[in-house]
Amino acid sequence: MFRGFKTFRLWPTLFNAYGFLFLAFLYLPLGLILLYSFNANPINMAVWTGFTLDWYATIFGGAGVKGSFDAAFTEAPERIFAVVKNSFLVAVSAATISTVIGTVTAIALARYRFVGKRFYQALLILPMLVPDIVLGIALLVFFVGAGFQLSLLTIIIGHVTFLSSYVFVVVSTRLAGMDTTLEQASADLGAGPLTTFRRVTLPQIMPGVVGGFLLAFIISLDDVVITYFIAGVGSQTLPLFILAMMRRGLRPQITALAVLIILFSFVVATVGLLLRNRKP
Amino acid sequence: MIAGDTVRSRRRRALLLLLAPVTLLLGVFFLVPLGIMVVYSVLEPGLYGGVEWTWYPFNYGRILGWPLNDYEEFDPIYLSIFLGSLKIACLTVLFSLLICYPAAFWVSRMGERRKNFVLFLITLPFFANLLVRIYAWLLLLRPTGFINTLLQGLGLIAQPLDMLFTSFAVVLGMVYIFTPFMFLPIYANVEKLDYSLVRASQDLGATPLQTFLRVILPLTAPGIVGGSIIVFIPALGNFIVPAFLGGSKVQMTGNLIERSFLQSRDWPFGAALALLIMASVVLVLMIQLTRAARTQTKGAV
Repeated sequence: MFRGFKTFRLWPTLFNAYGFLFLAFLYLPLGLILLYSFNANPINMAVWTGFTLDWYATIFGGAGVKGSFDAAFTEAPERIFAVVKNSFLVAVSAATISTVIGTVTAIALARYRFVGKRFYQALLILPMLVPDIVLGIALLVFFVGAGFQLSLLTIIIGHVTFLSSYVFVVVSTRLAGMDTTLEQASADLGAGPLTTFRRVTLPQIMPGVVGGFLLAFIISLDDVVITYFIAGVGSQTLPLFILAMMRRGLRPQITALAVLIILFSFVVATVGLLLRNRKP
Repeated sequence: MIAGDTVRSRRRRALLLLLAPVTLLLGVFFLVPLGIMVVYSVLEPGLYGGVEWTWYPFNYGRILGWPLNDYEEFDPIYLSIFLGSLKIACLTVLFSLLICYPAAFWVSRMGERRKNFVLFLITLPFFANLLVRIYAWLLLLRPTGFINTLLQGLGLIAQPLDMLFTSFAVVLGMVYIFTPFMFLPIYANVEKLDYSLVRASQDLGATPLQTFLRVILPLTAPGIVGGSIIVFIPALGNFIVPAFLGGSKVQMTGNLIERSFLQSRDWPFGAALALLIMASVVLVLMIQLTRAARTQTKGAV
């Protein structure tokens, strides 16, 4: 089987063909959304009737909607803007807080020896292993029981509980690959722990910290399930808004919105992945 | 001596300071909520939502088969939905494994630059919003969707195929969503595969099938197991994919939980269902941990 790799060209060709099919499986559905978002046909997106940018225009308020049927299914730009603002507020806050918590925890576990270290290591992995829906309802039950009003704040807290673990993992990987002699030298030369952290440790783990922040940011921005359970009436985020739109029916406006969401996520993810791959 | 003590106590204070935020966060907003859920799952549901503080094991009874009293008959619907979810999660694991395993070999034999680029391409869809990816499959599978329009246009079918709202659609959607989860652990393992062992097996006269079953498969087993667990856990509790691609025809435990919490307001029942999912997850993790421990001891001997 594997000897064939060298002697015949059959196996590599088959493998390549398979590989391209695999990539096509991943990307064709997304490509279809892109294509449909430019289709002028308002009734059936699968039948092409011409190129249009109208659906994008409805998102930004550039075009009025033709016909009362479509108007019932089209969201006003102000509504979309409001939920996008909510989403960004949540994602930036949750990512910032979890980056701080994840980073200091990673430093504590990488640079100190103490009883209960294994407990902390296990505890930090748990939020990533618990199914979303279980964490979502557990938080809902807790917030309601503790008398929290469900709001953007409860969403931020909920996101921080599992995002801190993601940041912790990313920063820990960076710390593990780091040379500790510089930190020791800094301490020997009389720098306090804070100075050593600010001037020596932090600059070295910075790509990990920024990468962790971006990962947390994008996961928070995209989160559907946990947010679904702990969002209040007035605290809709973009994914919940899309969810509500999808339940009412598949309209070209959702398709255009979907394209914008994919593009934004891909740009942020690309920056994050590039940072992570940079060698320490 | 005194200076040493100060340094040590200062280090301890620093450690406490560093650990305080995460302890508070995961203690209050993670462990306590999970604990409350365990308690709720054995309490009586209140008449108008909420709970009554009485011991009430019948939340589990409704699912697993001991009814409240002699007048009530056991309805196996919840059990069958739970078992159905297990089946769908297992099928999702199986099919993602089948498509990711060969792909991992394909990528592992590439040159450095091309390999990094293809790895990037495979990871990227993970960052596209879950709903958007499901939306794409709705556009593909529905009666007036891409696939049916294409097949009808080509004259291959007269009536649109019923692909949406089937187990097939749910499994397909989940395989699509979890592909990066399955691919990366397998790839990490295949990448390290020692080809000298493969050649040795061939030189010793093993057939390609024997080489695969007795050398390649065991060597890549950790990646297969790791990927399977990472896919199984979110697949089992999923409710967004079945909500859209399964409709009312294919229900999973996640849909039941969602409804008990947001519609029928029977929180204890929902908590019991969620804990059954947790129990399955813990069981799978424990099997894996014992297995890993056993392999380690074997390696030591």
